[in-house]
Amino acid sequence: MSRTTMLSFYTFILLIFGLASVLDAKSSSGNSVLVILDPARRPDYSIFFNGLQEKGYDLTFRAPKDEAPALIEDDIPSFAHVIFFASDKHFAKDITPQTLVQLLSSNTNLLIALGQKQNLLTSLAPEFSLILPPPGSSLVSYFPERKEPNTVVPIEVPSSSKILSSTSSPVWFSGVPFALGNNPLVFPILTAPAEGFAADSEGSTADALADAADKGGEGLWAGSQLATVAGFQALGGARAAWVGGPELFSDEFAKKEISKGVKSGNQQAAADIAAWTFQENLVLRIDSTTHHLVNTSFPKEHYTTNDIVEFVAQISRYNPSKDKWEPFSGIDDLQLEFTMLDPHIRTALPAVRGSSGKYAVTFRVPDRHGVFKFVVDYKRKGWTHLHSSTTVPVVPPRHDGYPRFLSAAWPYYVGAISTSVGFFLFSALYLAGDARETNLKKTKGGKAQ
Amino acid sequence: MSSQTQSQAQQQSPILSLWKAYAQNTSDRLKFIDSFLVFLMISGIIQFVYCVLVTNFPFNAFLAGFASTVGQFVLTASLRSQVNPENRQEFKDVSPERAFADFVLGSIVLHFFVFNFLG
Repeated sequence: MSRTTMLSFYTFILLIFGLASVLDAKSSSGNSVLVILDPARRPDYSIFFNGLQEKGYDLTFRAPKDEAPALIEDDIPSFAHVIFFASDKHFAKDITPQTLVQLLSSNTNLLIALGQKQNLLTSLAPEFSLILPPPGSSLVSYFPERKEPNTVVPIEVPSSSKILSSTSSPVWFSGVPFALGNNPLVFPILTAPAEGFAADSEGSTADALADAADKGGEGLWAGSQLATVAGFQALGGARAAWVGGPELFSDEFAKKEISKGVKSGNQQAAADIAAWTFQENLVLRIDSTTHHLVNTSFPKEHYTTNDIVEFVAQISRYNPSKDKWEPFSGIDDLQLEFTMLDPHIRTALPAVRGSSGKYAVTFRVPDRHGVFKFVVDYKRKGWTHLHSSTTVPVVPPRHDGYPRFLSAAWPYYVGAISTSVGFFLFSALYLAGDARETNLKKTKGGKAQ
Repeated sequence: MSSQTQSQAQQQSPILSLWKAYAQNTSDRLKFIDSFLVFLMISGIIQFVYCVLVTNFPFNAFLAGFASTVGQFVLTASLRSQVNPENRQEFKDVSPERAFADFVLGSIVLHFFVFNFLG
């Protein structure tokens, strides 16, 4: 008896722990984080790391030259997220651009901070369509006038940002800005100020920059087209955030005042960037898609040309504060395509009023038979990419599915029928004539006799 | 005026003489077959004109109707050449009764296909 109570007590404890670990996970893709960072630098980012731990992330630290813990074990990534703050020149054998790309393609999120020195990130960045300035450059801005060095730049958070909280005050930034190539998967999260430019050191002028651009031939690293933080969303759904310098996350910048009495927005911005990267924010999924003839409720195995069909998609958004997927009706530019090689129909897929998370559209199947697909393909910067494809055959009507005799064809029907009737009359008269001729012959013959 | 009528008479004379010769020298049986051929030709022309000017939809109905007149015309024309006494040398093996039986069988098969294809 006592043993069984003991056992149930253990299961109870296990259950509690299990529940606790589930409740703690604030990311939609897992809560284990590997931080690659020199142990000596760890206290510099204590506010950021403590914030993550309070949210429920399990942080594991690894020095850049340590062999363990491995990033990928038996081809399976060991962590759900990786923070890469190290700016060293040399790394352990398994930390290579290839492994980082492999992590990304196996749905591990990466938060990467560039350093001043040239290292593996310098060769990895172009793979993400980030165009780095010449080595040794950093963001310089002489505005606004301040007592800090010119390489420590306050940046306004754009009010339209979906990722950063727009209420936060300007963010201190120090590090490398980069230009963005025309890869559609990469987008800026925080752009450099319009007065900022990338330069070799504090003392250099804009002329030096123009010279560098001439030599490098990659354009001018200046103005607000430069990004200091950029997001990249892989096709598999994994996210990567590139930050010009790890100082943005540091305690020093978090505590540093923007103006007298006004705290900088760094702590909030750092948390927001991590929240987006670790798939807490702007995470969507398609729960289900169905299709059926209008006024029925079951999907058909195939549709007939010109059928009126209703397509319904159910979409959820991840809510990190409750750790739950909730129906989401906030997408106003969703589209449905009805595709056979090309989209024969591309129509808006609007949210249904009164039932949250439901998107529906009714349309007429084109007058064309073949193998069609219902395709929902929603790719917006920052948001999880939504993709759903359902194959249905579209067949022509059955032999009894449409009127066989049409008024337009009456001349043809009359023509065919009159030919038949004519044939019968002709045959009958022909035979009658035959009989008459033989009779005539007979009578003629009789007379002759 | 008089020269005009003269020339008209000259122009018409070959056609007229052809018509007269036909009316005099052709047996009633062949004339009867010819009238059926004319009927089929007119029916086919009407359908073709309707198809070109009004609609060819449904196309299968047009094909069936037009093919029935053309097919019937061909079969009837063969019957005519086989039963013509002047062609007796050409068709030594084919008696007029045999020719008519071939014609009827061919026509029934043709109409079977036409009505299958019509709807």
